[in-house]
Amino acid sequence: MECLHEIKLLEYIDAELTSVETAMVRDHLIVCNACNETYQHYLKLESQLNLPLELEPPSIIERSVMEKLFPVLPTYSSVFALIAAGFLLLVTGIYIYFDFANNSIVQALQLTAGNTSNFLGSVISFISTVFSGVYTVFKILDRFINVIFQVNIGAEIIGFTVFVIFSLIGYSVFRFALKKLRSE
Amino acid sequence: MILDEDQVLIKKILEGNRSSFEELMKKYNKKIFGFIFRMVREEETAVELTQDFFIKIYNVMAKYNFEYKFSTWAYRICYNLVIDHVRKNQTQVDSLDDESVSQKQMMASENFESEDGFSHLAREEMNQYVWKAVDCIPLKYRELILLRYLQGLKYDEIADFTGLPVGTVKNRIFKAKEILKTEIEKDGMFT
Repeated sequence: MECLHEIKLLEYIDAELTSVETAMVRDHLIVCNACNETYQHYLKLESQLNLPLELEPPSIIERSVMEKLFPVLPTYSSVFALIAAGFLLLVTGIYIYFDFANNSIVQALQLTAGNTSNFLGSVISFISTVFSGVYTVFKILDRFINVIFQVNIGAEIIGFTVFVIFSLIGYSVFRFALKKLRSE
Repeated sequence: MILDEDQVLIKKILEGNRSSFEELMKKYNKKIFGFIFRMVREEETAVELTQDFFIKIYNVMAKYNFEYKFSTWAYRICYNLVIDHVRKNQTQVDSLDDESVSQKQMMASENFESEDGFSHLAREEMNQYVWKAVDCIPLKYRELILLRYLQGLKYDEIADFTGLPVGTVKNRIFKAKEILKTEIEKDGMFT
């Protein structure tokens, strides 16, 4: 008996044959061991192909696509906080650089407060007290470092460093508060 | 019109919902990457092409026709993207499909042989072996096997994708299976 062409077997597996052809192939497979073996091999191959080996895609794909499609823009809160912190830093820097040594701003504020008796005078007086207090604290701190470590840093540098740290803290707090407000 | 799961996501994406796009990407990432990787056989290129695919899908989503299945539309875009790349880099792909590259050598390098020989390989290992063999057949057969078994397309859909007559598609897939069967028989994997 003549063996089946392999394409016939594949068409049989794919159920692509007519009912008559299907019956012929089925009958042939019962009596022909060689064709039956080939058929079994194709069946095994088919079952493996129907279970595609999945490959794990690198996680960078999803992240990179999202970043390219939706670039992260700075939020309003961070921009506001950055401007506020920058402004504070600038004012502090100017004050410390130009006026820290002779303390003229504090003196001017105290003079203005002395000549003003209303509410504004009290506010100015309060500000001058704060400035004066801060100035004194930095001077003490400078003296303390000088005594302990025998290093002369200078009240200006200490003052500036402290203000930078405070600005950064202020920036974070401000940003957090704005975020909280926006989410509410 | 009743929308399927994918189409609901697309509707949301078109309304500006980003997380729906992320969900859609998660769903298709494995299949698309798997198909592309098996076509180009180079991870870096596969990653780039998969990214390009998702960006393209997002950019042309407004053109999607809800009368058709999303997966078929997406697979067609994916196929065209990969084929364009393959055509541009024909030399590289040809060298990989060269008959001189022995399939056995490539498989041996992956250390598939167990102590007991191939006949006792576990089902999972057999599956790995078969798909590794698929990776080694020439591109003109491999692409059709991938479209048929990885993307689950019918013969007429594959013919539509590739522009080949249905008869040619069938013959090539049969030929591919013949090559695979012969190789697996040679290695005694069926016994």
